[in-house]
Amino acid sequence: MNGECMKFVVCVKQVPDTTEVEVDPETGTIIREGVPSVLNAFDEFALNVAVQLKESIDEDVEITALSMGPPQAKDALTKCLAIGADKALLLTDRVFAGADTWATAVTLARSIKKLGGADVIFCGQEASDGNTAQVGPEVAAHLGITQLTFVSEIEKIEDKNIICKKETDEGFLRTRCPLPVVIACMPTPGFLPKIPNMRDIIKGKRKPYEEWGFDDLGGEEEDYGLEGSESVVVRTYSPPPKGEGIIIDDEPETAVNKLMEYLEKEGIL
Amino acid sequence: MAKTNLWDERGLTEEQKLFKESILDWAERNLPLDRVIKMNREGHPFPKDIIKGLADLGVIMGTVPEERGGLGLNWKDQTLISEVIGYIDPSIATAAGFMAVSTGWGFTIDRYANEEIRQKYVQPAIRGDKFIGIATTEPGGGSDVSNFKCTGEKEGDEWVLNGEKTFISGVQEAKQIGGGYWVNVRTGPKLPEAPHKNMTAFFVPIDSEGLTPTEPYDDAGRNAISTGGFIMEDVRIPEEYMLGEKGKGFYYTMEGFDNARILIGGSAVGVTRRILEEAADYIKERETFGNPLAKYEGIQFEFVERYIEMEASSLMVNKVASMQDVRYDEEGWLARTGKAKTYSPKEIAKWISMIKYKVPHLAKDTADDAMHWLGAAGYSSEYIFETAWRGVMSYCVGAEGGANIQKIVIGRETLGPDYVPYK
Repeated sequence: MNGECMKFVVCVKQVPDTTEVEVDPETGTIIREGVPSVLNAFDEFALNVAVQLKESIDEDVEITALSMGPPQAKDALTKCLAIGADKALLLTDRVFAGADTWATAVTLARSIKKLGGADVIFCGQEASDGNTAQVGPEVAAHLGITQLTFVSEIEKIEDKNIICKKETDEGFLRTRCPLPVVIACMPTPGFLPKIPNMRDIIKGKRKPYEEWGFDDLGGEEEDYGLEGSESVVVRTYSPPPKGEGIIIDDEPETAVNKLMEYLEKEGIL
Repeated sequence: MAKTNLWDERGLTEEQKLFKESILDWAERNLPLDRVIKMNREGHPFPKDIIKGLADLGVIMGTVPEERGGLGLNWKDQTLISEVIGYIDPSIATAAGFMAVSTGWGFTIDRYANEEIRQKYVQPAIRGDKFIGIATTEPGGGSDVSNFKCTGEKEGDEWVLNGEKTFISGVQEAKQIGGGYWVNVRTGPKLPEAPHKNMTAFFVPIDSEGLTPTEPYDDAGRNAISTGGFIMEDVRIPEEYMLGEKGKGFYYTMEGFDNARILIGGSAVGVTRRILEEAADYIKERETFGNPLAKYEGIQFEFVERYIEMEASSLMVNKVASMQDVRYDEEGWLARTGKAKTYSPKEIAKWISMIKYKVPHLAKDTADDAMHWLGAAGYSSEYIFETAWRGVMSYCVGAEGGANIQKIVIGRETLGPDYVPYK
């Protein structure tokens, strides 16, 4: 697994810019036409974490940004190279199209194996378009390695172990885990990703970039894409909007009385 | 309702898309529209953190070769960057100071300067530690470049400069952080048949002994960057600070104007795009007589006409940027394949004059329209339109060449030199 240097792989996805997304009220589907695509913010956080970790480590580290998607997903990888990835790999083939999280994880895991494995595989906690949070853990399952989810901070790597902070419902857990590991990163509130400057962008463009298709990964066509998917999307829809809330803005005693009055009137109490 | 987005990225390269994204992300954190309005209300000097931020982003003087501290960008990239700068700051204070002046003229200074000037002034200006610009206009006139009065006389290894320059961008900023100017002086007799000859360009540090900045002007707009002047009384400049060859200053200056004007064209496209986007958000939401304003033809058709003109202007700027890339690809494949000879400097100047005339007027007229569409709201500084309108007027009336001068250049190149209205 380990070659001459430590290897990080950061899995990223190109998603529609959610600030510009509108939902078709009749079909309930996202209107993608004319909506710009961006690097998934969770993945951008993961990449920033990976780059910071690389900078804090004495030994050589190589970061590969990895994505599966249509050819235009190259834009997201180009940004990764500008932010600090050393090389980028896009898995793109019609055979991969229509993949659910399972088939996506199969494809990513096979490509990571073909790359020679990795010491740390970073991914965002979830993607802002599907919000499943499944791909990272599934990649770990396919590779047969440990997964750590909701990781907000990585302290260090020492003696082939990674020490990091994992968010929990109660607070956080500081944990030590042997490598290799899949880390699903959860952005901390107020996190501001690095903005690559013009020089970073130009340098990034000169870094190695590759595209692999079905022929490069091998296996059977039915392992990938729609055919390799275990789930079926029956319908997507927006939940009906909630009614307007009531705000009781008053002195505590009066407010409580008003609240009780309302609850009794509505038959809740 | 999602914000209106009138950018079309499909013609951009991968790098250009990222250039744009990074500048917009940076502006969202550091230079949102409310700060643009505030800093123009407060006036110059230009905020140091924004100068440093622009430099760290790498947007200043990107066309300077990499081996001399720039990024070696082509002009298509730099004009796209200028467009995004106009978009983030429609007051044009940022574009006027750091695209047209520092970048257009900085690139030109770098071409003709010696290594000392490059290291002491150009490279620090790229890093945001100094300000460099152009000082050509004099109290007696600006458009008639060949008829200036400032003089330079050789004394030993030095040149002694005298005279006054005025309506210069960034004097207060240069005073504050250091820097200097491209200054034209007469170094030989004025020849009646060729008054543009015997003009020589020098790089003059702002802190030169004998140089006194005059009071800054109280301009109508783009108030975040200063406009001022300086008087030179026996300012002694070393021979090595001559830019290019003696007596060729007029030609170099025309080249510098080209380099600044194309970036003005780019930034004015950006101003127009931002105005249209901000106006669209308003007219789609605001209702009158039961309908959104955007539904009324009186407004919608004006909007559409400006949108068409903006996209046409964008294509035109892109064409001219291609011409610039041919012009400056002296060592590259264009030269080797003979394509570098495609355009003469005068032909390029004609096209650049066309965008210098057309696009700032479009931006100004679009801001004017938007103020009418929004009514009282558009007239208030709660929105960007009046700040943009006052700012971009500077490009129309004279910054880097007045409107009628552009027409004279275009007329000369289309009708022929016999029809030039002056000699």
